[in-house]
Amino acid sequence: MYRVVAAAKPLQRTLVRRVSTNFNSHAGSGSSLEGYTPPTTSPANDMIAQLAAKHLDRLSLKDLIRFGRPPLSTQSLLTSARFTREYLPVRLSRRIRALRNLPYIIVSNPNISTIYNNYIDSLTAILAFPAASLTNLTEESRFTELLTEIVKTHSNTIPILAKGFLECRGYVTPEEATKFLDHHLRARIGTRLMAEQHIGLHLASVPQPPTVAVPGKSYIGTVDTELRPAEIIDSCASFVGDICEVRYGARPKLTIDGNPDVTFPYIPVHLEYIITELLKNAFRATIEANSPVPIIVTIAAAPGPPDAGGITIRIRDQGGGIAPDDLGYIWSYSFSTFDGSRSSIGSGNSGHLDDTDGGNAGSGMDVMGRFTESAGVLEPSSIAGLGYGLPMSRAYAQYFGGSLKVQSAYEWGTDVYLRLKGVGLDGL
Amino acid sequence: MSTILQVSSRMRHCASSLESSLTQAALVGSHAKILRSRVIPTTTPTITPKVNARHLSSIQHNPRWRASGVLDSYVAQPAHPISLRQLVFFGGRNLDEKKIISSANYVRTELPLRIAHRIRDMQKLPYVVVTNRHLSEVYELYYKAFESFRRIPEIKTLEDNEKFCEIVKTALQEHLTVIPSLAMGVLECNDLVPSHELDRFMNVILRSRISRRVIAEQHLALTDTFNSPFHFPDSVSHQPHDFVGEVFLRCNAREVVEQVGKHTLELAREANGSTSPIPEIQIEGRLDTTFPYIPSHLEYIIGELLRNSIQATIDHHTPSTTSLPPIRVLICHTKEHIIFRVSDQGGGIPIAELAHLWSFAKGPRATSYLQNFSQVPKMAATLQELQKTAHTHSRRESMDTSLSRLTSRSPNLRLGMGLPMSRVYAEYWAGNLELHSLDGYGTDVFLQVSKLGNKCEQLNLDGV
Repeated sequence: MYRVVAAAKPLQRTLVRRVSTNFNSHAGSGSSLEGYTPPTTSPANDMIAQLAAKHLDRLSLKDLIRFGRPPLSTQSLLTSARFTREYLPVRLSRRIRALRNLPYIIVSNPNISTIYNNYIDSLTAILAFPAASLTNLTEESRFTELLTEIVKTHSNTIPILAKGFLECRGYVTPEEATKFLDHHLRARIGTRLMAEQHIGLHLASVPQPPTVAVPGKSYIGTVDTELRPAEIIDSCASFVGDICEVRYGARPKLTIDGNPDVTFPYIPVHLEYIITELLKNAFRATIEANSPVPIIVTIAAAPGPPDAGGITIRIRDQGGGIAPDDLGYIWSYSFSTFDGSRSSIGSGNSGHLDDTDGGNAGSGMDVMGRFTESAGVLEPSSIAGLGYGLPMSRAYAQYFGGSLKVQSAYEWGTDVYLRLKGVGLDGL
Repeated sequence: MSTILQVSSRMRHCASSLESSLTQAALVGSHAKILRSRVIPTTTPTITPKVNARHLSSIQHNPRWRASGVLDSYVAQPAHPISLRQLVFFGGRNLDEKKIISSANYVRTELPLRIAHRIRDMQKLPYVVVTNRHLSEVYELYYKAFESFRRIPEIKTLEDNEKFCEIVKTALQEHLTVIPSLAMGVLECNDLVPSHELDRFMNVILRSRISRRVIAEQHLALTDTFNSPFHFPDSVSHQPHDFVGEVFLRCNAREVVEQVGKHTLELAREANGSTSPIPEIQIEGRLDTTFPYIPSHLEYIIGELLRNSIQATIDHHTPSTTSLPPIRVLICHTKEHIIFRVSDQGGGIPIAELAHLWSFAKGPRATSYLQNFSQVPKMAATLQELQKTAHTHSRRESMDTSLSRLTSRSPNLRLGMGLPMSRVYAEYWAGNLELHSLDGYGTDVFLQVSKLGNKCEQLNLDGV
């Protein structure tokens, strides 16, 4: 198993614990421990530990917009680059540390070890970029290209991790798995955000060729200062409705009420992810219950600045609610009631997320098919089944101090309350 | 009649002393700040120069010492929780002398037992809290009741039962002041003890109080039935066997909401003037469900929720608005539960208030609620005017229940207790109450009650 990890790339061997040969040669020389040398830890492992131990501030929306509206001055752009160059390795090291503390048998799983290797690769690549060279725009552009590569590499982490943990479900309890995943995926939000924020600021500050997509005028990196939730809801409803048509041949209606014109500063991709997942649940429930009642989305804007009360979105469906037996599991990773079966990591049930070939998936689409279909965490194209929608949505909501609550009236329907706090622009 | 006068005179006494007790509370507050980390039963505290001797002596308290051996033996026994279904089953058809006497003895032994536990709870609270004027009155009431009930000999005949019922009725009347006293006491002590401790105390003591009144009132109602099986004061269209004591077997969810809705809207109209707009209450969902429940409990909770929604809707919209958005009540049911969802567009609840919503101790706004409470005693005298006979299906409508006082109070009296009290009542029968606020738009409240009444009383917070 040691071989699996080391075989990836020659560069990686330095970051993997190596056992000293002295120890092996000592094997046959009797009971005395004289001359015993303990295994050496390679310096690179020390570095991971050192980096991981560095102090890290939680990323806040205010941090993200601290340089002001783009285009940024060269000075500011370089500061952002240097900040990212300094702290991204800390974040990556912490993820590596968490992964390598998992049981051996888990990290040996090919899927999980792929993810592990990705992190090692990315860390190596960043550390190879000298921080001192970030003094001009050319170097900064090179650095941004590197960041873009890293973001791309890691875009598929969730389905791959999910599959890996599923395959390991006999070796880990659901609680342990949930604890690791929860921590890991929440930290991942911040890591990705840090990289994407700099990329966004760069694209908006440094002239780009026309083929490259740049953020809109109201954006500060990943933050849209004029985000209109109703727009996101409309587009997500359309997307999820399409999936419904494909799968069920029908799509439920959706109406928006409350305050559809309100805008607030927030990160669109986060809101999109959350709304998509929540609408998937609501649409599926409505269709499977054969309910003609439309799904009602209410947008409420608290009075005062956006970082005070914020925005609350209520998604109300009449799709039959959540069975009391299932309620305790809705926040677990990999719990899904899709196709009427229930399975979760570590439970050993032959549930829907079984990785047997062909599977007992009533949809005619086996698990492999579903995983390859989803291009990345932000473009899931299956209606359900992964079991990550609710816990991930809550992780995104809570990241900047919001909340996600589910209230079900079994045999009637479900109300979901999403609360998000924006960021005060303070005249920006 | 005489008991009402006694009660109201005590309340007037309460009212006039409230002012001085507020000053005292402030003094005790500052006094306690010095001693906060240690509540010492000694009488030589550090005195700051500002507090003078006259004020100190007014907060001196010489508690009656009672031998606690008797109490100990009661506290050692666990209470015997019952379920709604048992209440119904026990008092069903074939009510005979044997059953009445058995019921009487159950009540005779359970009441002192349950009160003993609460007395012990109070004894363990910090000294400075129990010596609060209001809480010490409750303590004295409880001890008196304990002493009186534990001395009642075994009930053997119907005559014994009649005497017993009189004692129970008197006690129930005397204890009508308990809820306002507890609430005021807790509000006054909110800077002496962490609020989660006060809330826990209130929850336990209120639950126990509900339990005692339920079994007591149930027994009185059963005795009534037994004595005059064909006499039903004020029964609307309900057949005799629809009631088993206080339990209404065929509580219809929609009817309850309609009745309570009408009643609360009337109160709102009176308080806000007949020209100002009042929101409509719309009911939707599965409207045909019936289930056994104690109507006054359900009516109290629904009443509080509708009250909150109506007032919020009125307050949130400008006076010139001609029509207010309706309050929508959804009724639905599962095999085991009935669910009520009350949705309003009253603007929601700001985050800052959410923290103290469920607390009896109320955080920083305690003083304003305290001032409203001072009007509760005055209410007692004019209660006959205020009380509308709109709502209850209670067999014993002439009985002045503490719940009916609260249900009929003017909407202007914001006591801040509606939600935490409602939650105590809901959770008492293993139901629950949840609130979700859409800040800037409105509020949704979910009430879940157990349908079949199989769930037992939740006497302890840990559900045992």
